[in-house]
Amino acid sequence: MTRNWKIAIALLIVAVIIGVISLRGIHRRMRRIAETQSSEEEARHEVLAPPVTTPTDVTAKAKIFWANGSGGVAPVEIELALSGDPVQRSRQLLHALTANPPTPDQRTIPEDTEVLGFYILPDGTAIADFSDGLSTETPSGILSEEMVVNSIVDTLASNVAGLRRLKILIHGQEVDTLAGNVDLTGFFDMHPGQTGSSGAASVPQAPGAQLDATAKPANQNPAPATR
Amino acid sequence: MLFGVRKLFGILFFASCVLALGPRIAAQAPDQPGTPQPPASAVAAQQLPIVPTPPAAPAVPIIILDPAHGGTDSGAHGENGAAEKDFTLRMAREVKAELERQGFRVILTRNDDSDPSYDDRAAMANASRDAIFVSLHMASTGTAGSVRTYYDQLSAPAIAAAQAADTAAKIAPVTPGGLVTWNDAQRPYLNASKRLAALLQILLIQKFPGSPDGAAPAAVRGLSSVAGPAVAIELSSVSAPDPGSLADSAAAPIAETIARALNALRTASANGVKQP
Repeated sequence: MTRNWKIAIALLIVAVIIGVISLRGIHRRMRRIAETQSSEEEARHEVLAPPVTTPTDVTAKAKIFWANGSGGVAPVEIELALSGDPVQRSRQLLHALTANPPTPDQRTIPEDTEVLGFYILPDGTAIADFSDGLSTETPSGILSEEMVVNSIVDTLASNVAGLRRLKILIHGQEVDTLAGNVDLTGFFDMHPGQTGSSGAASVPQAPGAQLDATAKPANQNPAPATR
Repeated sequence: MLFGVRKLFGILFFASCVLALGPRIAAQAPDQPGTPQPPASAVAAQQLPIVPTPPAAPAVPIIILDPAHGGTDSGAHGENGAAEKDFTLRMAREVKAELERQGFRVILTRNDDSDPSYDDRAAMANASRDAIFVSLHMASTGTAGSVRTYYDQLSAPAIAAAQAADTAAKIAPVTPGGLVTWNDAQRPYLNASKRLAALLQILLIQKFPGSPDGAAPAAVRGLSSVAGPAVAIELSSVSAPDPGSLADSAAAPIAETIARALNALRTASANGVKQP
């Protein structure tokens, strides 16, 4: 082997070593940037939709309705700090419903959705105001839109006493549909035992008669799961 | 053994749906509050001897077939730009052709890439007293090839305390004159819609494995203003590997199911079966 060849091989080895070291550095730097972005995203979320805490918070079991894998929603019992104030309690429940699904497949509310406002009128009418994400990120379709509405209605009806019906607003406005199919111009019934997918259908026998309750889906849910 | 019992229950439920809904399909006009009573002379005339006549066969109902979405409203999206609006139209055209072959009169709410409003679609059904409204959808989720039938889930009624207030007149679905407000047109027909949906779903389960056992209520925007039996049928899904062929292969079974259900109801009606 000539001297030139030896120099060339030595230079090549040095170049490879430098390359490996550089690549590791670049990889570390990329990981740091990703971590920073993630923590910035978390910080932004914390600012926009912070977990609701009140002086009356008591840790209790709450039934949160997430997707059951067969097109419906099913309750999952979790420990949650819940306020004695129904408005704050509702916000805490909706925050848990949005932020902490047990698995990604059980998510019903799009990840970026935030609760912008929640109000309860003296007659028991609840008004939930969601960010645009609820409407723009929910996949269009009766099945997917019904799952979103049922998870909200059932979660509130199961854990907040005194709510009678729910109005869903998007960014402070009444919208025609959630994502092209489910009507948001009306109110969703929250009477106990008649909510969402866990209640029995109720329709009048005589045509022309005024209804006194919203017809609700037949029970398609499995037994309550516990996390 | 278990399958046999389930099948028996299925047949019994199917029969009860047919018996219960039959008269409703034949006599579309609901008993509205405020319907005038016949005068005494008319009652007296009814008591005169009448030559018995064979019962007239119920009229063939007009089917208003509604391919959901259209125009700028694409509906659900799948891979490679697959849009629900295209598949619902393809499906509706094939269902229409098949139903017409079987002697039904079918009207499409749209036959191109237009987007009639919900009210325009409902108006097409409301223009006829014996129309049945069937809205065709394709979901973005769900088990590929499964089908769900929905009937209208009415908006929650006004609360008693609010009714006592001055808002009562604004929210009452039925006006003092017996007229039903446009947005509540479906209310008087909810029972008929529910039974039609249940019957359709029972028949669809046999053709579309993986479909749920029963019809479900849903606040489907397109149903609430229809003054007649109205259902939505949703096929899963645009996210399937080949949604086009899925829609094409589903059209004939859906048409056959609609025809079978309506024929069963007409037969029950012709036999004078009364609703319990």
